[in-house]
Amino acid sequence: MSGVPEKDDDVVLAGEYALGLLSAEEAAAFEARLGAEPALRALYVQWAEDFALLAEEIPEETPPARVKATLDRRLFADERPARRGLFGWFGLTGLAAVALVAALFFVVDLPGTGVQPPENPVYHADLRAEGEEEIILAAGYDATTQEMYVERRGMQDRPDRDIEMWLIAGENPPVSLGVLPDDERIRLPMTPEQIEVLQGSTLAISDEPEGGSPTGAPTGDILATGPLEDV
Amino acid sequence: MKDLDAIEHLIGRCALKDRSAFSDLYSATSAKLFGVILRVLNNRAEAEEVLQEVYVKIWRNADRYSTGGFSPMTWLITIARNAAIDMLRKRKGTGEQMPEGLAEAMPDSAPGPEAQAVQASERKKLDGCFDELEADRAQAVRGAYLDGETYADLAARFDVPLNTMRTWLRRSLLKLRECLSR
Repeated sequence: MSGVPEKDDDVVLAGEYALGLLSAEEAAAFEARLGAEPALRALYVQWAEDFALLAEEIPEETPPARVKATLDRRLFADERPARRGLFGWFGLTGLAAVALVAALFFVVDLPGTGVQPPENPVYHADLRAEGEEEIILAAGYDATTQEMYVERRGMQDRPDRDIEMWLIAGENPPVSLGVLPDDERIRLPMTPEQIEVLQGSTLAISDEPEGGSPTGAPTGDILATGPLEDV
Repeated sequence: MKDLDAIEHLIGRCALKDRSAFSDLYSATSAKLFGVILRVLNNRAEAEEVLQEVYVKIWRNADRYSTGGFSPMTWLITIARNAAIDMLRKRKGTGEQMPEGLAEAMPDSAPGPEAQAVQASERKKLDGCFDELEADRAQAVRGAYLDGETYADLAARFDVPLNTMRTWLRRSLLKLRECLSR
């Protein structure tokens, strides 16, 4: 090969790096040089830009909505009001946060108002641990507000863990209804898709890392389940 | 998809921890990135998992975007592709992963983002330069980028010895660069 051999070597090396063809050791050695050698960095950036043009031919594919829901829970779960206290949280993050709470997590038990059970629930579920008689959680669907009312019956989160509620429709994988805050009575907003499959579905709660399941599916112990029954 | 300036603006807002910008960025780009990831992994469950990781990275590293020297879509696509290839190689158990933080850890003072106006003609030029390569070698380079194939994968696919594949690839890269810089 003609030209300036050293320069050519770097052109090739930067291209191999951009393609992911280098071994771990080679790549590490390349990266060690990147910080100190702007010319090498420019070669890499150039290849990355050129090759990214190839991605134009890849058809777009809309990911399922659960990816974004899980993502929001993962990234923003630590800012839930149940952990920080409602007013401190307002002060911290402002109105956008309020919208987020309403959209993503649950309707907050505003001080002085108190969450009330639905007057005419359409479906009702009593959740019990496997093989146990005691009801540890009760839920009722309120069609007027399109919310799932959930009442804890003396059950607590495990230390540094959260409880997440799931809707299981037939053979479908569980769909998260959100992490349950510490409050005894709460209301979870439901999407039209969830409401559509409520009849004959099962509610379940699982023990999850703080902020909820990182995967979008239950990862911890199933603490209790109960079928949704017509009222 | 929104235009590149809009994408760049959204990444900038993410760096300031603007969640609605993050949602907008996700709406504008997730279908493209999901496509890129699916192409590499060919498995929807894995692709969903990777897509999630990718947007976690984007949210956390958005403040580093402006110093990387990438145009916005290249930055996003590079993060997505690298994460997908990591997953692919983990699945295959080769143990060779994409180095941590390829795109997202780029240091300061690289050249500014490419002007988007030249994007279409750049693509045309790239296609032209790929056409100048022998067909199987062009396919090998594309396979490495689009499908995350390794030298070993490519050598097996084209039924040539590993060292031959290395030579093909390296010569092709030089030819491509020579053509692209004409």
